[in-house]
Amino acid sequence: MGVTITPTMVGQVVISGLLAGALYSMVALGLALIYGVMRVINIAHGTLLMLGAYTTFWWFRLLGINPYLSLLVALPLMFFVGMLLQRTLVARVVDAPELSSLLLTFGISIALVNVAQLTFTSDVRSVEFLTGAFLVGPFAVSKSRLVAFAVAVAITAIAFWFLQKTKLGKAIRATSQSSEVAMVCGINVHRIHLYAFGIASALASAGGSLVAVMVAIQPEMGQVYTFKSFLVIVLGGAGNYPGALLGGMLLGLVEQLASLFLTTQLSEAVAYVLLVLVLLLRPTGLLGGRAT
Amino acid sequence: MRWAVLAALAIGLLLLALYPLVATGYGIRFMLQLFMWVALAQSWNLISGLTGYVSFGHVAFFGTGAYAGAILVTTHGWHWGPASLAGGVAAVILALIIGYPCLRLKGPYFAIAMLGLNEVMRVLVSYFEGLTGGGSGLSLPTLHASGQIYYAMGAAALAVTGAAHLLITSRVGLRFMTIREDEIAAEAMGINTERYKLYAFLLSAFVPGVVGGFFARDQGYIEPISVFPLLTTITMIVMVLFGGKGTIWGPVLGAVTLFVFQELVWARFLYLHQIFFGAIIVFVVLLMPRGILGVLQERYRLPRTI
Amino acid sequence: MDDGHLLEIRDLTKHFGGVVAVNRCSLVLAPGKIYGLIGPNGSGKTTLFNCITGLERRDAGEVFFRGERIDGLKPHQVAHRGIGRTFQIIRVFPELTALENLLVVTREPFEVAYRRAQELLRFVTLDLLENEYAGNLSYGQQKLLEFIRVLMRDPELILLDEPAAGVNRTLLNELLAAITRLRDQGKTILIVEHDMKVVMGLCEKLFVLDYGEKIAEGPPGVIQADPRVIEAYFGR
Repeated sequence: MGVTITPTMVGQVVISGLLAGALYSMVALGLALIYGVMRVINIAHGTLLMLGAYTTFWWFRLLGINPYLSLLVALPLMFFVGMLLQRTLVARVVDAPELSSLLLTFGISIALVNVAQLTFTSDVRSVEFLTGAFLVGPFAVSKSRLVAFAVAVAITAIAFWFLQKTKLGKAIRATSQSSEVAMVCGINVHRIHLYAFGIASALASAGGSLVAVMVAIQPEMGQVYTFKSFLVIVLGGAGNYPGALLGGMLLGLVEQLASLFLTTQLSEAVAYVLLVLVLLLRPTGLLGGRAT
Repeated sequence: MRWAVLAALAIGLLLLALYPLVATGYGIRFMLQLFMWVALAQSWNLISGLTGYVSFGHVAFFGTGAYAGAILVTTHGWHWGPASLAGGVAAVILALIIGYPCLRLKGPYFAIAMLGLNEVMRVLVSYFEGLTGGGSGLSLPTLHASGQIYYAMGAAALAVTGAAHLLITSRVGLRFMTIREDEIAAEAMGINTERYKLYAFLLSAFVPGVVGGFFARDQGYIEPISVFPLLTTITMIVMVLFGGKGTIWGPVLGAVTLFVFQELVWARFLYLHQIFFGAIIVFVVLLMPRGILGVLQERYRLPRTI
Repeated sequence: MDDGHLLEIRDLTKHFGGVVAVNRCSLVLAPGKIYGLIGPNGSGKTTLFNCITGLERRDAGEVFFRGERIDGLKPHQVAHRGIGRTFQIIRVFPELTALENLLVVTREPFEVAYRRAQELLRFVTLDLLENEYAGNLSYGQQKLLEFIRVLMRDPELILLDEPAAGVNRTLLNELLAAITRLRDQGKTILIVEHDMKVVMGLCEKLFVLDYGEKIAEGPPGVIQADPRVIEAYFGR
């Protein structure tokens, strides 16, 4: 490799990494919620993100207004979609062995992706809205990435405020610790499952709405985000909500750093190798969490 | 009773063996693909049906075998038979590399690790473009060998079903199953679950590799998307879940039913057909976890080892 | 065997995050006796079992079995050394038949294993159910199955985790008789149990854990009167 690495490049990479990381954190928080509360491994998580992305696309295509405003519609919509999925399908495997929830969400994911193929066609879509970058000193900061970062941080902050300060949020955290104890304390655990899945779905779709402005939109786009969300959870520790934040940032940084030294293709494989390494060396996550 | 079953089996095999003499080109291709799916489904059953470790990336072994076999044929002039067997070996080596670290993980984590395998394989194929032809794919010298490949695929399907029979009716297979039933208890009872998981995984990788080699020869041309499609893994999974995981004939039943359906009905509607697969998985998991065969086993008190 | 000890635990410590589950616990088991491990809920009894059998990795301390160090071994290696255990929640293999549950744990030739399995099934009157899926058996039947499954490997040391839990009187008496018979055959048994009647009647020596520490050991009569034990159970 005949490229010298300058401090500017490293700085650029760190900035890009952090910007991307916030997005990963937000989406992964949703996955963490589902696993923490219900012990369900949601392989359809990326699919929910994809649905969010398409919502934003159609909003922009049909209404022509600022795609970021689609969040106002996408979030509640996907919240309800999530609750619907939970109520009709996922609820039935909550007490079953984890294998069942894996396969179930896998099946849901396949079905939804192909419904999207059928209705939206597999043409690659995009949202041309916020292009270009700000120049901050020697660093170029993509406008859309910055907005995505800001919104992701805001949404994640609200989510954490919700978990820490509100009654429902505390009930969710209690159920994550121990659903038996939560039940004994009078918490309606089934209701909690419903809300948790709804919130998680909203978080995932928010990620989708934000990336819609940045990347190519097609029905299979969600897969890689599902995988990365798992990676974040594994990094931060299963069931460890603040861990998801750290894990997301870490993933963002590592990915961008890897792209300095490897071709873009190979840096995709970096996420995978990272996952296997962490699973082998620290299966409880870098911050420590629950081992399955 | 047992002799009747064996006799029926023998007659069936004889008919299948004689089929190419009377069949049309389409008929041979149809059956050839059917055999391939039986072989793939049954292989997936060996790891995921028996040990309960869900392999979401199993098509990686098929693709590896396809590429290994194709490369040996084109660059080194091997005959496709031995080349495909080498493809099987390549797949087993991949399984060893992936399996040795990943099988130490508990079930769900293993499944997650396998999810990404597919993508990694595609990336690797692109990276080693010189060897694999990258995105432009690899062409094999022209050869019309449908008849031979029919028998090759048939032999593969037979072999892996035979292996399934041997395992499911033996104590070794029972040990595989304890991993699925209760891994902690199995360990506590003296079963070296790590080793058995690895054996099952390696075994489950071989035939897909070989069959991948046959497929490459049959198609005459392969590219990353044709041999590493997620749809292949999905199809394997649906076939086994539908037919009955962990049984000998479940995967066969699932493969035959769904392949026939696919060819006759759904092939024209690709996405509808995949939605159907997704729906079947959901349906089976919620309502029929042991598949069709499981339902029959319960209804008619059939033995576990069918 | 060192000093005639079958099992020796020295200063075993295990914590989970900030919580100390087992705190510098030491005990010694001589062969051919029935021991009891008692203590209030959460006192670390099952964790101790898990550390002995390799299911959990201990943080400090050593475990010796027949003079050989076994802490750090994998569970299946511990099982091969001659230690068997049952679990608090029943862990039979539900989709295997009762007979298969027994056959699968041994590597002996089929005829030998089969005969042994049938003997054991008859021993607990489950022989008519040998081809029934273990998952279809009743709670009590599963409990018995798990018990004889441990015996299939003919272990020298048997760890029983709450064998009396959820079991009716008749079945319990059968179990207790079986345990006594095992002791008479020279086996060593360590039982975690909450049912005091069982413990007092069956065990020759007790170890009492509280908050992961061993606070007392001795024959049942002595333990019953020990003020520390009484305080552990009632004084809080």
